[in-house]
This record gives sequence, structure tokens and C-alpha cells, in this order.
Amino acid sequence: MTARLVGRLDTPAAAEVTQEIQPLLDHAGSTIVLDCSEMSYISSSGLRIFLTIRKAASAAGGHVVIQGLSNEIRQVFMMTGFLQLFEIK
Amino acid sequence: MAEHSRLDPHAEAILEEYRAQRPVFEKMQVTIPARVRALLDEAGVVVASVESRVKEEESLAGKLELKGAKYASLSDITDIFGMRIITFYTDDVDKVASAVDRLFEVDWENSVDKRKLLEVDSFGYLSLHYICRDSEFPYRFEVQMRTILQHAWANMNHDTGYKSGVEVPVEYKRNMNRLAGMLELVDEQFSRIRTEINDYRRQVQSLVASGRLEEVPLDGDSYRSFLQLRPFDPLNRRIASVNQAEIQEVTLMPFLAVFKALGLKTLGDVAGLISKYGEPAYQIACYQMGLTDLDIVASSVGPQNLCLAYLLKKGGGRAGIRMMLDTLNGPSEGNDTMAEYILAQAEDFSFMHTKD
Repeated sequence: MTARLVGRLDTPAAAEVTQEIQPLLDHAGSTIVLDCSEMSYISSSGLRIFLTIRKAASAAGGHVVIQGLSNEIRQVFMMTGFLQLFEIK
Repeated sequence: MAEHSRLDPHAEAILEEYRAQRPVFEKMQVTIPARVRALLDEAGVVVASVESRVKEEESLAGKLELKGAKYASLSDITDIFGMRIITFYTDDVDKVASAVDRLFEVDWENSVDKRKLLEVDSFGYLSLHYICRDSEFPYRFEVQMRTILQHAWANMNHDTGYKSGVEVPVEYKRNMNRLAGMLELVDEQFSRIRTEINDYRRQVQSLVASGRLEEVPLDGDSYRSFLQLRPFDPLNRRIASVNQAEIQEVTLMPFLAVFKALGLKTLGDVAGLISKYGEPAYQIACYQMGLTDLDIVASSVGPQNLCLAYLLKKGGGRAGIRMMLDTLNGPSEGNDTMAEYILAQAEDFSFMHTKD
């Protein structure tokens, strides 16, 4: 299952996304692809959403692949230690 | 209902009793293996399998045809319900036997330790057979206990030796017995290796607990024990304090490969890395996160920054950082970009301008 994240994943957007990720969590036992090629910003709230999806996938025997990370967002993943938590393509 | 014309009336009566009592044996097959599994789980004894079966009518009829006169009634036949417990290690056969002894009343007169029946100069079938009774059921049953290698040998021997119904040549029997001797040695070696590994783990845990880290080689077991001391927590807490961030716990086992690639040989070397590069690792975090509002970090950030600081200070350059990121995250071109990003910042890190 693939989810496309577009624009800024800041705190207000994260609240909205939290409501919308349920279909992903329902498929947590499979491979979940998070397409970030059109995501321009991520805040801590956005990182927490990624973490929620990862935990659900891990518990259900699935895994999460992130693709299309911009350099700026990749840097956020690196400085927080999140880079090692996901398979990043 | 099948008629067995070859059976005499006495054997036919036993067979009739078997038909009537079969539900009892089927209930035994549900209840008894489950109780064995539960006790083994509780005792932490890992076994390869617990198999069970109720003897089929045809098989019982064959037995009665051969030696029906030996049995007064169905109760005299002890293998109508049978269970086989296969262990990985030869030492565990005795542990399993002890569990069976605790759960059931063992009929010692009719139980056989075939491991002790063989002469010193002969090799062959090794297995422990107990005849047991459970107070819940009126019939005795057989429990066979053996290792997975003994099981393999017994199956191969049975399959090729008896199935054909033809007497096999002596040379074949000799070869099978040679294999039995070899497998006995292999079983012993497996047990010995397990004992040595457990001894090593205990020794490592003791050295780690006593702080003699420089004496402990860096490997999977020792590093796992080391992590129980939570050696990266102080650094992670310091890094988190930059933005009052929460720390998300993640496994730090993947860093073992990086530490080894950096040439660290003992746990003392890892402790030395934390002690010597803790401040530079913190400086990297301050520089990167200080002007952000990121208030969540993974517990991997501490060891990650330690490795980065070490590589930067030792002149590991782009190739070194790329190696580290490839090892932790899997190879990707994005790791090259991150290596460039770190190198571009390095000039601004104050620790890069101080001598060791």
C-alpha cells in the first residue's frame, strides 16, 4: 500500500494526517510505502506519525519503506537518529 | 467394521475393546501432549517437536496376530497411545524425562533406557522409553524421548531396514551402526558447544557487571550484555536536552558492525569511545538541532553522533561516513549526500579545531 505525502507535514497537518492513516494501519502487516517526493517539510509531529506507522507495521509483521526524501528532510531524519528506523529508497 | 479373519477370538475381543475405547485414547492425545508442552515451556526447555498418535486398528491387529496371547486385555498393551518428544540436545533428553516423571506415574519395570543397553563396543538405537500412567485415564501409554539426530537415524534405519520386509545384508547394518556412532559423537559435540557458549556468556556478563570491559572482546553476546548497562543513555539524555526532546527507544545492535568497522576490539574500546567522543557527539547534535524545534530523537542518535565524531576527527572523510551510513541504513546514494552534508558542517564543529 502506498501513501503519498504532499506539502508541509507540520503540526496542524499532522493532526489531519493522523485521522487519515487508518487505512495504512489496517494494512500494517504488508509493505507500506510512504512516498515523500512531494513533501517539503516535516516537524516533530510528522516524525511521530512515521513512528506510529512503523510501530504498527512492526507489530503486524510488515515493514515501512520511505521513498523520495528530499535532502532537507533526509537531514532531519539523520539529526534525530530516525534514518536508521526505516528502509529509505 | 473391519473383520480380521486371521485373528483368534481372544485377539478379536481385544480389538473390539479397542474400538469401543478409541475415544478415550483420542482424548489422551489431546490432553497429554498439551500438559507436556506446558511444563516444558514453564521449565524453559526448548524441544524440536512433540509428536503423538493413537495406534491404528490395522497396526494393532498386526501386533495381536503376532503376539496376541501375551496380552490378557487392552490394558496390557502400553503403546495404543504413544508420544515422542524430540530434543535438540542430548542433555535435554534427561530434562524432558524428568518433566515426564513429574507429570505422570512412570512404570519403571517396563520403561527402558536404550541408551544404556548398548555394549561399550556397539552403536545403534539410542532412545529413552517410559511407560506412563495418568490418573485421569485408565490406560498406560508410551513416551519416547530422543534427540533430533537419534530420531533421524532411527527413522532412516526403520525406513530402509524394515519396511521392505527383506532381511538386509550385514554390511548395511554395520554401515548404519557406524553412522549411529558418528551421530552420537555429533550429539555430544553439540551439547558441549552449547555448554561452552553458556559458560562464555556467563563469563562476559560477569566481566561486564564488574566493569572489566577492556577484557571483554567485542561480539554479539558481549555487546548485548553491555547494552543492558545502557551505556549511551547519558549522552542521549544530554542530546535530548538541547530541545527538551523525548527519546524514542530503538535497538542499538546495528552499531556493533560499525564499531567493529572502526577497529574497536573490546567493550573497553566502546566505553573509551563514549568517554572520549561524548562531548564532540553532543556538539554535533547542538549544531544540527539547536536552531530547530525538533523535540523527538531516537536513542540511536547518541551512538550515531559518536561514530560521526570519531570519523571526522580521525580523517575518515566521505568514504568513512558513507561506510557508516551504508552499514546502518543499507547502501544508497542518499548516504553519500548525507556524508557531504556532515563534512560541510565539520569546519564549524569546535572539536575539529582542538587537539586530541
